[in-house]
Amino acid sequence: MQYSETLRRCLRSKFFVIGGITVLFIIILAFFSTQIAPHDPETPNLVMRLKPPNWNGGWSGYPLGTDPMGQDVLSRLLVGGRISLLIAFAAVFFSCLIGTCAGTIAGYWGGWVDNLIMRIGDVQLSIPAMLLVIAIVAVLGPSLPNLVIVLIITSWVQYARVIRGNVIIIREQDFISAARVSGFPVSKIIISEILPNVLTPLLIVSSQQIGFMILLEASLSFLGLGVQPPTPSWGAMIADGREYLSTAPWVVFAPGVALMLTVLGFNFLGDGLRDIFDPKMRT
Amino acid sequence: MAKYLFRRLAYCGLVLLGVSLIVFFILHLAPGDPVYLLVADGSPDEVLEAMRQKVGLDKPLYEQYWIFISGVLKGDLGESLFFQQKNLKIILQHLGPTAILTFSAVFVSLAISIPLGVFAGLKKGSMLDFFSMFLALLGQSMSPVWLGILLMYLFSIKLQWLPPFGYGSVKHLILPAITLGAPLAALITRMTRSGMVDVLQEDYILAMRAKGVPEKKINFRYALKNVLIPVVTIVGIQIGTFLGGAVVTETIFGWPGVGRLAVSAIMSRDFPLVQGIILIVSALFVLINTVVDILYTFIDPRMKLFE
Repeated sequence: MQYSETLRRCLRSKFFVIGGITVLFIIILAFFSTQIAPHDPETPNLVMRLKPPNWNGGWSGYPLGTDPMGQDVLSRLLVGGRISLLIAFAAVFFSCLIGTCAGTIAGYWGGWVDNLIMRIGDVQLSIPAMLLVIAIVAVLGPSLPNLVIVLIITSWVQYARVIRGNVIIIREQDFISAARVSGFPVSKIIISEILPNVLTPLLIVSSQQIGFMILLEASLSFLGLGVQPPTPSWGAMIADGREYLSTAPWVVFAPGVALMLTVLGFNFLGDGLRDIFDPKMRT
Repeated sequence: MAKYLFRRLAYCGLVLLGVSLIVFFILHLAPGDPVYLLVADGSPDEVLEAMRQKVGLDKPLYEQYWIFISGVLKGDLGESLFFQQKNLKIILQHLGPTAILTFSAVFVSLAISIPLGVFAGLKKGSMLDFFSMFLALLGQSMSPVWLGILLMYLFSIKLQWLPPFGYGSVKHLILPAITLGAPLAALITRMTRSGMVDVLQEDYILAMRAKGVPEKKINFRYALKNVLIPVVTIVGIQIGTFLGGAVVTETIFGWPGVGRLAVSAIMSRDFPLVQGIILIVSALFVLINTVVDILYTFIDPRMKLFE
C-alpha cells in the first residue's frame, strides 16, 4: 500500500479523524499539564473546600471548582489525566511486548510450546480480570509499578492470541520457506520477515486496548487499589467526590466527562484504524 | 456427541486445575514470609507457627498445593480473618445478590440491545441506525464508575425516582443492573446490527423474497434466528466480565454481593477470604462457560464439525 493511498483512506474515515483529533488534543493537554495547571494539584487548602465553579459570577481562580480537600479540580484533572495516560501507555507497551514474544514463539514453533503458552492464557482468562487484579494487589500492595504489572498480566493474552494466529498464517508463506532454505537464522527470519507482517494487527489491538486500560485503571483507583493519594487520578477523584454528589456534583462530573471523552477518542481511533487496515475484522 | 462432551468436560477439568494452581501461587508472590497474609495483624508467634504447620509452609511446594487442594475438594476454603467464620459460608451468603444482579443486567442489556440492533440493521443508514450506533459507542466508552454515579445523580438525587443504594426491592435493582449491563448492551447492539445487515444480503433471503415470503416473516423469523446464535456465546463469555464489573457496581450502589465482599476483604487485609472468592467465582465462570459451549452445539449443529 502506498503512503498517499493510506493517508487518503485515513482522512476519509470519520472515526479516525474525530478520534485522532480528540486523542491528540488530550495528549497535548496531558503533556503540558503541569505547566497549564493553575494551582498545585496536591496541596490541600481547607479554607477553599468545595467551591463551585463560577464562570458567570466573576473569576474565582478555580474554573472547575474545588474538591473536598480544597484542591483545584482543573489542576487535578490535568495532572491526573497525564498519570492515567502514562499508566495506560506503559501497560499497553509492555503487554504488547510480552504478548508478541509469547504469540510469536507459540505460532512459529507450534507443538507443545504452543500448547503450553496458549493453555496458560486460557486458564488466566477464566479468572475474571478484576478479581485477579484484586488478588495480586492484595498480595503486592497498591503502588504505581504494581498497578502497571497487574494491567500487563490481564492483557498480554489478547496480543498473544492475535499474533499467534497471524504468525501461523505467515509461517506457511513462500517467502518464509525461501528465507529458511537460504539458511537464514531463525532469529533473522522472525525479526525481519515475520514481525513486519504482524505490525498492522498489533497496531489495531493496541489502540483498542488503550481505552480498556484507562477504564480498568479508573476502576482500580476508584476502589482505592490503584493510584494512591495525594497523587491525582480520575478514578480516585470520582471516589473522593462521591459523598458530596448532591451538594458538589462538579467534583465527580469533571473527571467523569474527561474519562468518557478520552476513552471515546481512543475507541474511535481504534475503530478507524481497523476500518482502514483490516475491514474484515469489522463487527 | 458423547466424544465431544467428554472432551469438553475434560478440558473444563484441566482449566479448573489451572485456576486452582494460579490461586495457590498468588500467595507466594508475597514479598517476605507469606504466613503474614494468612493470620491477623499482630498475631503472637504461636499463631504464626500453627498457621505455618497447617498450610505446610515448611514443606515443598507440591505438598503445600496438595494440602490446599485436598482442603478445597472437601469444601474447606479456610477461615476469614475479619469475620472469623468459614470462608465458604460467607461467600455463599453473598453469591445470591450477585447472581440476581448479573441476571438482571443480562436481561436489561438484551431487552435494550436486540430490538435496537435489529431495527438499526433493517433501517441501515437511517437516523435510528445512527442513534443506536452512537449509543453503542458511548456505552463501550463508559466506565462503570462514571455511569453508575451519573445514573445515581440523575435518578436518585435530581428526579428522586429510585433509591441511591441498598438492597431489597426491584427499585434498588434498576440502577445497578443498567450500570453493569451497559457495556454488554453496547456490544450486542453492534453485533445484532452488523449480523442483520450481513444476513439480509445472503442468497437464501433473496430467494425467499423472490418467492414472495412476507417481509416480516423473513426479517423476524429467518434472519433474526441466525443473528441471535453468536449472541449466546457472547453472553456466556461476558458473564465473567460481569462478575468483575460487579466489583465496581456493587461498591457504588452498596449491593451486598461477592464483588463488594472482595473489596472489603482486601481493605481489611483478609487474604484467605480474597483467595476463596477468586476460587469460587472463577470456578463458577468456567462451569458456566462449559454449559454455554455445550448448549451451543445443540443450537447450532454446525459447531460439531469443528471438533
